[in-house]
Amino acid sequence: MFLKKLIGHEDREKEVVQDMDDHIRLLQDGCRAFHEALEHNDHNRMRRVKELEREADTIRRDIVSHIYEGAFLPYLRPELSKFVELVDQVFDLLEYAAVCYLGIRFPDSLRSEASRVAFLNEEMCGMLRITLQAMTAGEDLREKRLAIRIYEKRVDDLKFDLMKDARAIPIEDFWEGNMLADFLSRLCSVSDLIEDASDHLGVISSIIK
Amino acid sequence: MKVYEFMTTRLESVDSGKSVYDAVEKMVDRRIRSLLVRFPGSDLEDGVITARDVVYKVLAQGKDPQKVKVSEIASRPISCVSKDLPLRDAAELMERDGVARLFACDGSRIVGVLSMMDAMAAMLILRARGEHVS
Repeated sequence: MFLKKLIGHEDREKEVVQDMDDHIRLLQDGCRAFHEALEHNDHNRMRRVKELEREADTIRRDIVSHIYEGAFLPYLRPELSKFVELVDQVFDLLEYAAVCYLGIRFPDSLRSEASRVAFLNEEMCGMLRITLQAMTAGEDLREKRLAIRIYEKRVDDLKFDLMKDARAIPIEDFWEGNMLADFLSRLCSVSDLIEDASDHLGVISSIIK
Repeated sequence: MKVYEFMTTRLESVDSGKSVYDAVEKMVDRRIRSLLVRFPGSDLEDGVITARDVVYKVLAQGKDPQKVKVSEIASRPISCVSKDLPLRDAAELMERDGVARLFACDGSRIVGVLSMMDAMAAMLILRARGEHVS
């Protein structure tokens, strides 16, 4: 419905939509790898996040190129590009958090709560993908977007507890403490950006209507 | 979706020997409506105190919350379910037993609590995923 309403060259648009779906799927894979790596302190799996980010970057470039080569009506192109950039920013945050993790000795006292945040991030990506699919099917996004907001609020609740626990950890080396703070900040910001991406799908959906 | 995916893992508790006023202070500070009451022995011996208990059993009866012990008004035993229980089953249990929260257990250890708000949020997510039962 979405495609039929908006396009001249259906194949080109279908390809872009498929790539957007793949882009989010890769993000979800990245969040899953991150979550499992954090839960089991598996550095090899954490390195996988960087590889996935590179794959996602290639897809992002393809999507933006295809959009500006003529897929979709012109007034939609900046909005679709912005959505793709938001998803890419989530991946950047995740990758940076992974790099921080690999550079420090992560305190076990924070592992359980941090893993929970990582799990919720992974679930949110799944819901973002469902939201994109619903939009392309011309469905109402209200319930999907509420689900994403619910996840975000839960991460927010955990964030304060996590920060409080982190303050109790004695830090002997400035850079170690700095990287831990960066790690926690990035980990807990992923959900904010996913929520922004979901809101932007809402904007695109409104424009289409 | 299982209970452990949506339960709150940070359990706020109060010792059974503390006063109701101690519990109330904690509830106000943490902005929560209930506390796990820790009794001696295993986790399964624990109870729960809610804002409702404080109002109905203490304040409304003109009792002094500083003089009433938490153990006197705590509800026991707590409703405990496996953390792996499907959420739908947990919601049915809440309805059947008329309770607003279920404690999630891993063996005899309490590992989380699922409140009515948690259950509602989880159900809304199931709906959004298209997994709800109509």
